[in-house]
Amino acid sequence: MKFKILISLILTLAATVFIFDACKKNEGSKPYAPSYLKFTVPAGWPQPPTDIFKDNPLTEEGFQLGRKLFYDGKLSKDGNFPCASCHQQFAAFSTYDHQFSHGFDNAFTFRNAPALFNLAWMKEMHWDGGVNHIEVQPLAPITNITEMVETIDNVLKKLVIDTAYTRMFTAAFGDNTINSQRMLKALSQFMGSIQSFNSKYDQVKRGTASFTVAEQNGYNIFKAKCNSCHAEPLFTDNSFRNNGLTLDAYLQDKGRMRITGNTADSLKFKVPSLRNIRYTPPYMHDGRLLSLQQAIEHYRTGIVVNQSTLDPLLKNRISMTNQEKVDLVEFLSSLSDNDLLQNTRFAQPN
Amino acid sequence: MRFSQKYCLFLLLILFLLSSCQKTINPGNSKGTVKLTFNNKVNGSPMALNTGIYTNPFGETYTITKFKYYISNVRLGLSGVPTIAAETESYHLIDQSVPGSLSFSFEADENSFITLSFLLGVDSTRNVSGAQTGALDPLNDMFWTWNSGYVMVKMEGTSPQSGQPGNVVQYHIGGFSGANNVLKYIGMVFPGGKTVNIKKGQTSEITLEADFNKWWQSPNDIKIAGLPVCTTPGAQAKMVADNYSKMFTITDIVNN
Ligand code: HEC
Ligand code: HEC
Repeated sequence: MKFKILISLILTLAATVFIFDACKKNEGSKPYAPSYLKFTVPAGWPQPPTDIFKDNPLTEEGFQLGRKLFYDGKLSKDGNFPCASCHQQFAAFSTYDHQFSHGFDNAFTFRNAPALFNLAWMKEMHWDGGVNHIEVQPLAPITNITEMVETIDNVLKKLVIDTAYTRMFTAAFGDNTINSQRMLKALSQFMGSIQSFNSKYDQVKRGTASFTVAEQNGYNIFKAKCNSCHAEPLFTDNSFRNNGLTLDAYLQDKGRMRITGNTADSLKFKVPSLRNIRYTPPYMHDGRLLSLQQAIEHYRTGIVVNQSTLDPLLKNRISMTNQEKVDLVEFLSSLSDNDLLQNTRFAQPN
Repeated sequence: MRFSQKYCLFLLLILFLLSSCQKTINPGNSKGTVKLTFNNKVNGSPMALNTGIYTNPFGETYTITKFKYYISNVRLGLSGVPTIAAETESYHLIDQSVPGSLSFSFEADENSFITLSFLLGVDSTRNVSGAQTGALDPLNDMFWTWNSGYVMVKMEGTSPQSGQPGNVVQYHIGGFSGANNVLKYIGMVFPGGKTVNIKKGQTSEITLEADFNKWWQSPNDIKIAGLPVCTTPGAQAKMVADNYSKMFTITDIVNN
């Protein structure tokens, strides 16, 4: 009798365990155990304004999925325009030597493709700040008619029938559901992880290298004349300002005003980081200045001062001797982070 | 003796079962269900997408090919008490072309409620919180990609007065911050002193009507000839929103 009860008990238990398992729907055979990664803020840097990984826990699996998506032509209409076609690692994830990038059907992008790094510190994305969160940013290029020209619906259809993605979404998120939210969160894990903080400048700050005399002179000039907008250590304060370029008659790009509708924001653009600036010519939102020398010359002699929204800091232009200009270029070159270009973790996956 | 032992084991099994599936079966709470249904109408008659030909107060004729809007943060209230029963994860896209989207239900604590409130649109928090899913999935074609934020109310159609290619009429109304915030808080007392009596295991039904004709007038005159297209946040979007915020009335309450 007792034996019988024991047997029944065991059977009941077995049944419940089985049913309990069945209740957790959609789960693959392996338990969900991703490898969590820690996002590190370099010593001496400010905390990012918001934690982009708060609702998107950073994992190796999520990162790798995002990396695959970033390099995958499936996200574009004809397969030829992955994110990486315009954001090239050897150019600090900008488009090297192109004023505008090429998109689907020989179209040119509206603006110069920015470099991608330290995005966790960027509150608003795009030159006009129109994108308010890193996770929703990819929706813009994927659907834009000059870039990837796809619909999210179609992209998801292509991913669903690819077994590599079934495996990777399961590893990253615990089950095989493939939806826009997960795709965007994975892309955000990859992009948000691209950090750049190992330039010569950083090494000097850490005390493991020292500036040449020219670099040090350039640094002094930088601190006096550029740092108020291109603020250390990110080399941007992420504000929107008019730095004195004229309106391009053809593009009619009024920058921040496109988003706010406010005339006081006319011709204001997001201050770009100057890290890795050597790798990202040409310069400015429309790539109109071809070299670093030209960019500096703009501040010295090119600023169009009779503009109502011109930043007050620039109303007298920025005076500089020829030697100072040379030294400034030397300093800006010390912001190049070769590790960013060489890091195989950010490279095209096999 | 034997019978009761088996019975005990059976009970045990059921209990285990219930606890393991807690998310779907929740025994012993005192919640009932409330169901909201939205009937979209134009001047009193049911909105007929594509086929209906309507005339606005300015004598302009138009058809409607799309009509979608977000209802969020739905709450039932008592007199003098702030929020009493709030739907969790309360985001719904009412889409006239999808019959199943015109009603939704949620659980509420037992009580006799006298008010219904909701936000017409998606609260500002969700406009700035990254990738969303469900009703807020960008797949629903209610998200601006170049200027992040949700289209709160979308109407598309045609009108001979439009002057646009294909005579299109296109209103994508959104904007969640600043002076041109189009978010509208809608609060209504149930008419005729009625209450919505939530009882455990039962469903109370609230039927609302949304009259599209409110779009055009009061406080702002919106003429198709003057504004056939409005697809960015701004002062014009705000004017349209000020009008349509008056489109809802509660037409029926059924307590079961
Ligand atoms: C056809 C070229 C092209 C493709 C493909 C492309 N981008 Fe871009 N990207 C750009 C341009 C141009 C901008 C600047 C847009 C603007 O400011 O209006 C940009 C801006 C960005 C930014 C904002 C950076 C900043 O500093 O504000 C991010 C992040 C980004 N892209 C990520 C991606 C991702 C992820 C993909 C793939 C889903 C992608 N891009 C595909 C050209 C491209
Ligand atoms: C008042 C703020 C301000 C000051 C001061 C300032 N900049 Fe800029 N800088 C900007 C803005 C804004 C842009 C982007 C403008 C655009 O694209 O329309 C920019 C763009 C640049 C770019 C192009 C970056 C790229 O990725 O395309 C370079 C290079 C640059 N600045 C260098 C400097 C240097 C060197 C100094 C000091 C001599 C300096 N800036 C001072 C605001 C400023």
